[in-house]
Amino acid sequence: MTVSETDYERTVAHSDPILQMRDTTVSFDMERGESRVLDNVDMDIERNEVLGVVGESGSGKSMFASALLDAVVDPGYLRGDITYNPGDGESVDVLEMSKRERKQYRWEEVSMVFQGAMSSFNPVRDIETHFVETLEAHDYDVREGMQRAKQILSDLYLDAERVLDSYPHELSGGMKQRALIALSLVLEPEVLVMDEPTAALDLLMQRSIISLLENLKERYDLTIVFITHDLPLVADIADRVGVLYAFEFVELGPTEEILEDAAHPYTRMLLKSTPNLESSIENMRPVEGSAPDPVNVPEGCSFHPRCPLADEECIDVDPGPYDAGEGRFVHCHHWEHSAEEIPMEDASETAGLADEGVESRSTKPTPDHEGEEPVLSMQDVEVHFEKDTGFMDFFGDPPAVKAVDGIDLDIYENDVVVLVGESGCGKTTLGKTAVGLQRPTGGSVEYRGDDIWKVRDGDGDGSVSWGHIRRSLQIVHQDPGSALNPHRRNSKILEAPLKRWHDELDGNDRRQRVMSMLEHVGMTPPEDYYERYPHQLSGGEQQRVALIRAMLMNPEVILADEPVSALDVSLRVEMMDLLIELQEMFDTSYLFISHDLANARYIAERTGGRIGVLYLGELVEIGPPEQVINNPQHPYTQALRWATPELDPAEERAEESPIREIDVPDPTNPPSGCRYHTRCPEAREVCTEQTPESYSADTDAPSHRGTCFRMVDDHEYWHSESIVDESKDSFDSAADTGTAPSDD
Amino acid sequence: MVNIDWRLRRLGQTAFTAWAVITLSFVIVRMMPGNPMGAMIQQLERRGMDPVRARQLVELRLSIDPTKPIPAAYVDYMVNMVQGNLGQSVYYQESVVDIIAQSLPWTLFVLSWATFISFFIGISVGALMAYWEGGKLDVGLTSWAILMGSIPFYVLAIMLLIFMSYRWGFFPTGGKRPTGIEPGLTWPFISGVIHHAALPILSMIVASGVASLGMRGNAIRVLGEDYLRVARLRGLSDVTISTQYVARNAILPMYTTLLIGIGEMFGGSIVLEQVFQYRGVGWYMLSATYQRDYPLMMGGFVVITLAVVIALLIADLTYGYLDPRARGQESESY
Repeated sequence: MTVSETDYERTVAHSDPILQMRDTTVSFDMERGESRVLDNVDMDIERNEVLGVVGESGSGKSMFASALLDAVVDPGYLRGDITYNPGDGESVDVLEMSKRERKQYRWEEVSMVFQGAMSSFNPVRDIETHFVETLEAHDYDVREGMQRAKQILSDLYLDAERVLDSYPHELSGGMKQRALIALSLVLEPEVLVMDEPTAALDLLMQRSIISLLENLKERYDLTIVFITHDLPLVADIADRVGVLYAFEFVELGPTEEILEDAAHPYTRMLLKSTPNLESSIENMRPVEGSAPDPVNVPEGCSFHPRCPLADEECIDVDPGPYDAGEGRFVHCHHWEHSAEEIPMEDASETAGLADEGVESRSTKPTPDHEGEEPVLSMQDVEVHFEKDTGFMDFFGDPPAVKAVDGIDLDIYENDVVVLVGESGCGKTTLGKTAVGLQRPTGGSVEYRGDDIWKVRDGDGDGSVSWGHIRRSLQIVHQDPGSALNPHRRNSKILEAPLKRWHDELDGNDRRQRVMSMLEHVGMTPPEDYYERYPHQLSGGEQQRVALIRAMLMNPEVILADEPVSALDVSLRVEMMDLLIELQEMFDTSYLFISHDLANARYIAERTGGRIGVLYLGELVEIGPPEQVINNPQHPYTQALRWATPELDPAEERAEESPIREIDVPDPTNPPSGCRYHTRCPEAREVCTEQTPESYSADTDAPSHRGTCFRMVDDHEYWHSESIVDESKDSFDSAADTGTAPSDD
Repeated sequence: MVNIDWRLRRLGQTAFTAWAVITLSFVIVRMMPGNPMGAMIQQLERRGMDPVRARQLVELRLSIDPTKPIPAAYVDYMVNMVQGNLGQSVYYQESVVDIIAQSLPWTLFVLSWATFISFFIGISVGALMAYWEGGKLDVGLTSWAILMGSIPFYVLAIMLLIFMSYRWGFFPTGGKRPTGIEPGLTWPFISGVIHHAALPILSMIVASGVASLGMRGNAIRVLGEDYLRVARLRGLSDVTISTQYVARNAILPMYTTLLIGIGEMFGGSIVLEQVFQYRGVGWYMLSATYQRDYPLMMGGFVVITLAVVIALLIADLTYGYLDPRARGQESESY
């Protein structure tokens, strides 16, 4: 079955590649040896295709992007062959170009969008200057070029004049990212390389940008290389997907084939480890083990230490590309058997996979908490941040950001509530208010019936102390790296809570407790981890330490603020499993914050929790996960649902964006009536005037509530005039010939 | 709207500081045990003056009437200050305002050139050091800057004076203007002034090598920024990148330091002007201290403090022109 290199060449020969990469290697000389961060990669990028490149962090995907532009940063060394075929001229060897040619090649032929749009603009110059100087540097006609720039900006649903006049810091992240895309297209390149262009953005913005990209590609005749860690995200847009593991491609093929019938074990396991809304919870498995070190990539197949199919051959022989038919190439000796060994849809256990938490990996129904006494009860909580005001502001109310505006939420024992929403919707503020880290400007937060801020001020009835409350409400931060004191060893970090709250324990007992916890979360041998400093741990291990630290306080409610979003995709499921396991062990409740509906669903379904959807400081929908996901009542929840990438490309592409405006309105001046009416495809006159209350959903789950008039059968909404402009009801309908959303 | 509010508030803060400084000078004169006032009266009495007469004289000199109750005396003092009446120098028998008005321009002349040149050199050298980070030039200049920064500038000044003036005679050994030449906008006079100011300026520049280290650090930070990488890929010219991208961003943190530095230099000028016998504000301040000439001391103190406060105000108000992020205090995100 083995195909030789020449066969491989022949198979792709009758295509029309715009960029060809052969034997391309990027290496860094390090003290420990040569670090190869791109290892003999072959790749053909076809003209006008969208190639998705998927890999975890440290798989070499950014190096792949840099290599395409011959822009590997010093002291990296790039060698191999990269050929650019302009189509109407001679092929060019990218690595042999003169300085002049290279300047022309970059940005005029191949341009790039970086991950960090936040920092890709010079902070002291306005956006227009960036466009002008780019045009000038390449001797383009500035007037004509700026016309084009304005066109591209408005194609990206930006107010061109306003954006060009702004400084980078005046734009939101999504706007900056779109402006950066426009900047990369202003010289009309043939190829656009995008390195994690949406990673720092909200799901809704990600999805919106991706639908815009499809339009841009058609309009400007582009070839797009889309690099990401998020496999479902490229499923929407990519024609072909290449999967990078350990600095080389392990699989390449048409998107549908890869998603439905991946041949490489790693691809299959990666697919299974990715939380999504469709596949059942039982199927989600973490990829065990960790990615290899670039200095010391395993011999033979680089995936063999983590692969359940590995045998002697895998250890000895590096698998060349096997032609799996239909344009697919797999670097695995056993690709024909991978489908049987790693089934995508099978609840039964497979040898070598997932040996922990077998019985707990199932869904739990959301219990009805009616009549139960809540641990934490928030009533009409408001947090308004006043903008900084001068002493001249005697007159008029200063503008306030209503981060949280009138939210009721009860958290019960052993309860899990997952808050989802876009950034700036107030989910972190609400979470901090719940655990007493942020004082609300209105309403009350009660811990077992006592208002915690009254206790704090000494006005309580004395039944609980502030110290007790403080200890009962804990937090796990998003970034474990900055949540742990870098100058203290794990032993000190973890023993501190015990010292403070368990006087009766002596040094030995404390040590024993910490050790057993470390062992429990899989940090073995614990003696080894006990004496380490935080920087000597991986991100996942740091998060574990932070989690244990919170758990050792024996808290009743833990606020987990995006605890997995800093981790690699394949580690997320593992970390969430651990969180769930610890919850059961310690009998705590979680208030979870996530911007990702798929993660929210995973946590909530496995723990029998609820999902709460926040929009501009208001709780627009809350309920059991299966109801919120499958039967969303509020149009905003439906939009989030739409924005969550799916693994089934065929079904998703047909759908049309359910939001009218991409950008979130200014939180200092939220829209009147229902705050969502500016973006809602169902908005009618009444939505702009009246504020909807919380209505019970007409489903069998009593805890499912939402704030939309559409949930009430005989509301005047149904007789109100629609405010949706049919001609531009959805932002990408210009390209899609979709129908306007129907009213029911 | 917001910008104006913020500027008004900043102006208010400055006015408050100025008021606090003047009040403090009043408190020192009036309240300190063994206070300047008593000391002056004693001084005059010792010279055989009639106590009543001495008291009147002191009152005239300090603009404080010792017999009045404190609130009334305070009001008088403030009114005098606002009118620009800082009292009468005991030693020079001249009004303090006149002495300061004559000497301040000279000090400002030396200070502004020293600041400007050392800032300019610091930025250029720092940028070069950052560009060749870790190279020989970088290591060499870093050591040099640390060495020069750790030697007090007046020690350097004395060394310069010994070699450049006494041994080799390149520069005059003291004074602030050429003798025997009519002051005016004539070349001999101006060149003479520069000639006299050269050594004080030079000694301050040499000692301020630390500025280049600050710039070096800033520039290295900027060189690692994403926007620089994007700018290179966009094919911008090296000139644009080095001036508009690297230098522009690296200077930002230096700007406030620069204007705060003026305050420090005023303090330094007291010693410096003594070394070079350069009759600026600093020289008069020190001489007033020796002569127990309290009105002059107080006047110098108030004027120098106000100069620093105003420099900081300028720094704050103009920073927004350099860094758009600081325009107004809130982000105008929409």
